[in-house]
Amino acid sequence: MDFRLSEDQLMFRKMFADFCTKEIRPQGEHIDQAEEAPVDLLQKAVDQGFWAALVPEAMEGCGLDVYTYMLMLEELARADMSTALILSVHNSLMVKPLIDHGTDDQKERYLAALSFGEMLGAFALTEPAAGSDAAALATTANRDGDDYLLKGTKLWVSNGELAGLFLVVAKAAGGITAFLVEKDTPGLKVGYREKTLGLRGVPCNTLYLDNARVPAANRLGEEGQGFKIAQHALDLSRLGMGALALGGCERALEEAIRFSMEHIQFNVPIAQKQIIQNYIANAKTEVEAIRCLVTYTAWLADSGQDFSHHASITKLFSARAAHEVTDKMLQVHGGYGYMKEYAIERYYRDCRALEIIEGTSQIQQFLIARDLYKAEGLEIRP
Amino acid sequence: MDFTFPKEYQLFRRMVREFVENEVRPLAKVIDREHRVPHETVKKAAKLGLMGVPFPQKYGGMGGGEIGYCILAEELGRVCSSTATVIGAHIGIAAMAIHLDGTEEQKQKYLVPLAQGKAIGAFGLTEAQAGSDAAAIKTTAVRDGDQFVLNGAKVFITNGDIADTIIVMAVTDPTLGAYGGITAFIAETDSPGFSIGSLENKMGIRGSSTAECVFQDVRVPKENVLGQFGAGFLTFMKSLDIGRASLGAACLGGAQAALESSINWARAREQFGAPIATKQSVHFMLSEMFVDIEALRSLVYRTAWLIDTHQPHVMEAAACKLFGSETAHRCINKALQIHGALGYSRDYSIELGWRDQRISEIYEGTNEIQRVVIAANLFRPYGLRIPT
Amino acid sequence: MKIIVPVKQILDPKGITVRRDKERIFINREEYIVDLGSKAAIEAALRLKESVADAEVIALSMGKPQADDALREALAIGCDAAYLLSDKAFKEADITVTVHILAAAIKKLGGADLIVAGRESSDTGAGQIGPRLAEALDYAQVTDVYALAVADGMLQATRPWAHSYAAVKAPLPAVVTVALEAFPPRYAHGARIMSAYRDWNVPVWTCADLGLDEAALAPLLSFRGESFPPPIEAEKFRGDPASVAQEVVMALRLQKVIG
Repeated sequence: MDFRLSEDQLMFRKMFADFCTKEIRPQGEHIDQAEEAPVDLLQKAVDQGFWAALVPEAMEGCGLDVYTYMLMLEELARADMSTALILSVHNSLMVKPLIDHGTDDQKERYLAALSFGEMLGAFALTEPAAGSDAAALATTANRDGDDYLLKGTKLWVSNGELAGLFLVVAKAAGGITAFLVEKDTPGLKVGYREKTLGLRGVPCNTLYLDNARVPAANRLGEEGQGFKIAQHALDLSRLGMGALALGGCERALEEAIRFSMEHIQFNVPIAQKQIIQNYIANAKTEVEAIRCLVTYTAWLADSGQDFSHHASITKLFSARAAHEVTDKMLQVHGGYGYMKEYAIERYYRDCRALEIIEGTSQIQQFLIARDLYKAEGLEIRP
Repeated sequence: MDFTFPKEYQLFRRMVREFVENEVRPLAKVIDREHRVPHETVKKAAKLGLMGVPFPQKYGGMGGGEIGYCILAEELGRVCSSTATVIGAHIGIAAMAIHLDGTEEQKQKYLVPLAQGKAIGAFGLTEAQAGSDAAAIKTTAVRDGDQFVLNGAKVFITNGDIADTIIVMAVTDPTLGAYGGITAFIAETDSPGFSIGSLENKMGIRGSSTAECVFQDVRVPKENVLGQFGAGFLTFMKSLDIGRASLGAACLGGAQAALESSINWARAREQFGAPIATKQSVHFMLSEMFVDIEALRSLVYRTAWLIDTHQPHVMEAAACKLFGSETAHRCINKALQIHGALGYSRDYSIELGWRDQRISEIYEGTNEIQRVVIAANLFRPYGLRIPT
Repeated sequence: MKIIVPVKQILDPKGITVRRDKERIFINREEYIVDLGSKAAIEAALRLKESVADAEVIALSMGKPQADDALREALAIGCDAAYLLSDKAFKEADITVTVHILAAAIKKLGGADLIVAGRESSDTGAGQIGPRLAEALDYAQVTDVYALAVADGMLQATRPWAHSYAAVKAPLPAVVTVALEAFPPRYAHGARIMSAYRDWNVPVWTCADLGLDEAALAPLLSFRGESFPPPIEAEKFRGDPASVAQEVVMALRLQKVIG
């Protein structure tokens, strides 16, 4: 059992870290204050392979394994969580499902644009009456000749107003089905942008589908396969949330350690105070625990095993830990932790989303328990 | 043992709640978004005697004592932490310091207008290098004839830029240290030499202003020494000690609001074919909130009673602040989780409460300091003095 | 000038949940408040007091002993005196009996120049106390008043008339009922709230104090039961807000509710 990173992984991590530290990190405060997605930075990131992380090399992508992809997300989160989430949604919830379930034709039509910064991906599942209960979705997809007509409303679509391509989950005659819907599709309208507590650089929009005409050639997988496709995509995305939490916590820890060494009270840096040391130690422990979960779950994915169960475990643990860590690291900053010139309050707000997005902590608990009881032959209901 | 509030306090709570619902609630999100102090609310509150709730009527106050003041703080905290902070800093530590340690002349001159809301108060203690270590302040007060000349800069001062009266802690003898070397002064902000530096850009309580107050050769008459000369540390500790009880009350209000919102949302929101109120995860969160809130309620009002009956209350007040702020944190955090995505949305008020709450674990003595204060008092009866 | 205001204590409607589906009314929180009609009346009376020299406002409430709280609130808001009319014998009182009791108390107080009541109470909304009191006392009456003033022993009131307003004059003594919307109640000053229970006295007048006999207290109405009104046939619009809004506007136009 060798936990060391390979040469390639080390090289990629350094490349990601350099770019993130130099280009993205200094923009974090502005992205949050102006509530602006870092469009220019995202374009710059194309050349570093951030948009094509999981695309096989044969298709001109980086061909990263899941673990290295996690390193990428971790470095992004360490620099800025909004940017990290935008790219996570793009890669985990659009590019990967396209690679896994798309026809050659679909890949030919869209993969290049998605890889080279022309089209950002987004994922539309949640609806007004279907949040945690995603299966209760009501958007319909009625067959009309060679097309489907999609009708319904999707909420909280991350990347919404920036996206060129949406993965939309709707109910067709044969069951829940996934579709690739281009931005300019007649009948598709990107609406209201949510104002959020944190992750303010990520646009989250309402999507209106008013008989949006989608060619059958854009159906992803078969009718009735949509829910499984969505769930599989969410598995990877949830693991990615662990990487985001890891990066966020590492940043928070770094900020707090630095602050505690500089800030003097009672004639010594507060780093000399036992309670501060306890907070730092506990935070580090959480960070390492998250890292272990992310590493192990990524290994399951890379070795072709089912990693859904551990993705839920990783998300559940790391989201909670991220709240705890950012909270305590803010406390280390004292009054300064509440001021916007210091990055920590942004990370505190950003990390709070992790217990809600991509399946709340309560849903993760349900999924984990369901797997355990299923193994014993008992089916449990939410 | 009678745990019911006397009738006049029940009536007071009802009237304050009406005021808060009609005048404070509509502005809560507005002042956060516009990053401004609700001056209009402060004026209306002053007209009703609310800017001097705990102070005796002969000094322009309402005569409601600490219990009355905790009721006001709780009702304000339930709806708008920013407004609670503006009014709280004014009553709870600024005017309170004069009430506790002022001479009759100082009370007539300064406490009366503060209690009537005709003047606004601020409490100038913290400096850049002196936060938890309050004794490390560097602002000086040098005697010059019948006056003292103040020089220095205070930071993180609530109401600093809107105050008429500011209580200032300054070093009067650098050789004597915290006990003997620090004196409290009452300063008027329209004095030459007083200016505002920067205003902080905060995560929450954005409807209250947090200012840097600069003193450049500001002259105060010797009559404005507050409390005993050289005993400024004791003066400000006394004020902070009492202020902590009402802070706990404000947190109680916020926690209660979180519980009420959560109950209503859980009844309304349906997923998996039923209101989420039917889910055990929700039951457990709500029950835990209730338990914390009830414990805090008893703690706060018993401490207020200790204060009103002039009994020792330092540990209990620190406990109010410590337990109150952490209870509010747990409650509003659970409320956010129960509200799901809407809890993260600025279209609803949950995230506002979540941002506003966080400072309560830091200001008026961080929760770490509260723990130190309590621990120090646990060992004091045995003659053991513990270091900070 | 002596102004008397009848004050009614009611169950706080905010503590009540109506479940049509269960055909039941749940009282989640049993709290009592001063009814909004009475609050408007107090406000109108206090404004009048502030506009003339030498006036006093007296609050009167007929109710259970706990109605003392309603009167304390009236005092805190600014009334000069308050009396509670309470007796076990009043338990079955309907509006007729209530008016009888109030009239007896008003007579015991030596009558009034002006009686100010709410146009209707915010719980039952019957709107009868004012007019019936005027009859019982043989005072002039003006109802649904939006503005009032007193000059030279005459009441000047503004009230709705056809699609406009009418200025009405009436000789004192008179009964006025005020529109709730026109007199938003003021808040009580904190110091008066503290005094309400500590410094002031609210005398309680019983049946005997008012000289009322059993015949006077026999109600004309008897309560037989309660039921929910039948469900209303309504059209439901479902869909996204933008389309629903358009459909609703269309429907309102078709029914000529809007132009």
